Amino acid sequence: MKSEKTVERRAFLIGNPNSGKTSLFNALTGERKRVGNWPGVTVQRIEGVIKNVNQELVVTDLPGTYSLTPATPEEEIVLKCLNEASENIILNVVDIANFERNLFLTTQLIELGIFPVISLNCYDSFTGAGGMIDLSKFCNLTGTNAFPTIARTGEGVTALIEHLLKTHNSAAATNSCISMLALPEEWVQAADQLLRKDKKNWKSASPLEKYNAIRALITSSGNDTFEIRKILADTLSQRHGKDIKPADLACELASDRYQRIEKLIAVCATVPAKNIPAWQEKLDRVLTNRILGLPIFALIMAWIFWTTFSLGEYPMGWLESIFAWLSGYVEATLNEGLLRSLIVEGIIAGVGGVLVFLPNILILFFWIALLEDSGYMSRAAFLMDRLMNSIGLHGRAFIPMIMGLGCNVPAVMATRIIDNRFQRLLTMFLIPLVTCAARLPVLVILCGTFFSDNPSLWMFNLFFVNLLVLIFLGQFTSMLFKTDGNSPFLLEMPPYRTPTAISVYHVLYEKIEHFVEKAGTVILAGSVLIWVLSAFPREVPLTQNFDLLISQLKAEPATNETAEKIAALTRQKNIELMEGRYMARIGKFIHPVMEPLGFSWRETVSLIPGFLAKESTVSTLSVLYLPHGENLGDAMKSAGMGKISAFVYMLFTLLYIPCVATLGVIWRESGSNRFTLISLLSYFAIAYAVSFLVLKSSTIVSGSAEGMLEGAIIIIAVLFAGWYIVRTLLKAITGRKCKGCSSCDGCPIKNSNTCS
Amino acid sequence: MVKTTYNLAELPEGSSGTIRDIDTSSPTSQRLLDLGFVPGTPIRAIQKAPLGDPTTFQIRGYQVGLRKTEAELINIEIKPDEK
Repeated sequence: MKSEKTVERRAFLIGNPNSGKTSLFNALTGERKRVGNWPGVTVQRIEGVIKNVNQELVVTDLPGTYSLTPATPEEEIVLKCLNEASENIILNVVDIANFERNLFLTTQLIELGIFPVISLNCYDSFTGAGGMIDLSKFCNLTGTNAFPTIARTGEGVTALIEHLLKTHNSAAATNSCISMLALPEEWVQAADQLLRKDKKNWKSASPLEKYNAIRALITSSGNDTFEIRKILADTLSQRHGKDIKPADLACELASDRYQRIEKLIAVCATVPAKNIPAWQEKLDRVLTNRILGLPIFALIMAWIFWTTFSLGEYPMGWLESIFAWLSGYVEATLNEGLLRSLIVEGIIAGVGGVLVFLPNILILFFWIALLEDSGYMSRAAFLMDRLMNSIGLHGRAFIPMIMGLGCNVPAVMATRIIDNRFQRLLTMFLIPLVTCAARLPVLVILCGTFFSDNPSLWMFNLFFVNLLVLIFLGQFTSMLFKTDGNSPFLLEMPPYRTPTAISVYHVLYEKIEHFVEKAGTVILAGSVLIWVLSAFPREVPLTQNFDLLISQLKAEPATNETAEKIAALTRQKNIELMEGRYMARIGKFIHPVMEPLGFSWRETVSLIPGFLAKESTVSTLSVLYLPHGENLGDAMKSAGMGKISAFVYMLFTLLYIPCVATLGVIWRESGSNRFTLISLLSYFAIAYAVSFLVLKSSTIVSGSAEGMLEGAIIIIAVLFAGWYIVRTLLKAITGRKCKGCSSCDGCPIKNSNTCS
Repeated sequence: MVKTTYNLAELPEGSSGTIRDIDTSSPTSQRLLDLGFVPGTPIRAIQKAPLGDPTTFQIRGYQVGLRKTEAELINIEIKPDEK
């Protein structure tokens, strides 16, 4: 059916975090589409469409924010979109159960001449607690159109949609009435004067220009604005009968906004005195209890971990057997050759390697969605924040880090629960240093091979060094890059709510689609690349014509002697083939770099397939070491590899690179090539540095394996000393702040920059 | 003289106070102001996390967790009858 469509119209969804903005978006549009990233920052732009018989309205979901003044790069998007949004429709989601604080953003919009369509969300909890609002009075006094909604159930959404389809733009909605939330005259005059310096004026300025003018009034920047700020402060002092200095203006404006909000609410609504129900307080007292809080959280985590990785094994097993059957089928139908190798080792193994993560991701995100929706996630962050903060992370980083023990891939995806981008990237960067379950068998094999006398002790040593590296790196990176600006800690405790099936469905659908479509392609490409490196060039110049010799031997009567000869020749052929492939050539090429770590070219070569899966390092090594013996451990010993070099090799294997799947999700989740590349180089550098340190210090202490314990102690001491020195230095550089200590007399920074 | 001004981190669990002023030299202060931590607003410390930090506060009808470093930016008055 051809329908006459009007010009594409847009609505921008804006509101506080936890205001039900996402639920409302889902209820309005039914479908979330990623349409690339916001310019400048790698935050995904999400859009949906409201369809009518002959109309379409594109709804853009802006990142949640408490205020127009951005505290994080995500929140800057809202400000950047302001002008575009004001020419379209702005839909402001206001959690009416948390009325005052949610109206702050609304007030900021109205001050700039934007009259949003308001969705008074969570209307049921508001009225349930005894709240009442005179809607028409509210609309008249604010100059907006407000609609009560319950986004979680979809109630009230129809009326809202009807109105949205009729509305044209937010700036021109209501000009005639003076909103109760509008900016007071004194401020408008001061802002107008400021704008006139740039040959503009308040009436004709765009919302963003108005915002910048107000922002300039409350932040002390340069002398050119000082005069205007001084006059404004004096006028306000006179009017309010108290002493207001220009430095107090930020505080004054925020107070004034809240006073306007309080007045508005007083005239048109009855806000329940106690809007947090008693049962919620009781529940909170148990769940965040000083004694019970942590054990309850530990139980919940254990349950999530167990279901994700143990129950997840069943569907993973089914998937694996399906793929094994597929490989078997292809092997049976196709002749040995390049095509079969590509299909079996490249494509089926690659696709299988992607799909095998799905059960884990599904189960983990099912629980995460429940925790997030119910409001427990904030409590968990509250409980764990102190611990995580000690390595520079946010309390919310605990769940992804713990999940990293199972598998890094869902763990990296779980960093989505951290709102702050800096904190999210920091967590993402540290997760690959958490030893995942897939690395365990590799360690078991390696330790069993190299330290057959006491494998568990050496495994423990490895874990210990790994943990130290993790702590040190967390401390170090957060110290270098953390500022007050990028990590403000304000953890809102939303009320407990019953999760809805629809929102859990949305989370799961989005995760799976995202993983398969985005990360899946990267993982597949990585697998195929590694396969190409290990399978090409097809023709390798051999020292003897092995095939001919073998077939000659086979033609002779079968004796033990000939069988041995055949085996030896086949082995020799395989080694020469492997050495001729690109993988070995690259390994030999980069070997000089690895030599200081005591690696022979064989170890270097084995690191390349380790990129795809760490267990391939062992299988590659055993092929390469065949000339020295059948048993890998003995072969390496006879080739002159000591216990120290073996330990260093294992440490390097553990740290040097996350597997291709982890790297793929890091790349996709961070959305940044630079971040991925820097992380990759950092892991390599860290692995190199730590291995080198261990090697050198243990050979200094003693050349024998007994000296390794002392060596490890030295490393620990060195790491901590280094950390302490850097920390002290940075503290000295960043300077001190007045902590409000009791001895203010003679303190050089006393009372500096305090307001009111 | 009895001390009546404290910073928010010193507010004992379960007690209430009134915000007196806020240290605007920290970049976090703007966000705190926007969230309603303005002078004259009553605030109550609800509880500390098991590991001692952060602490949840009730302000303007909602609850928010602040770390010690953030709470120290806020000065409060504790009236004798509130204590």
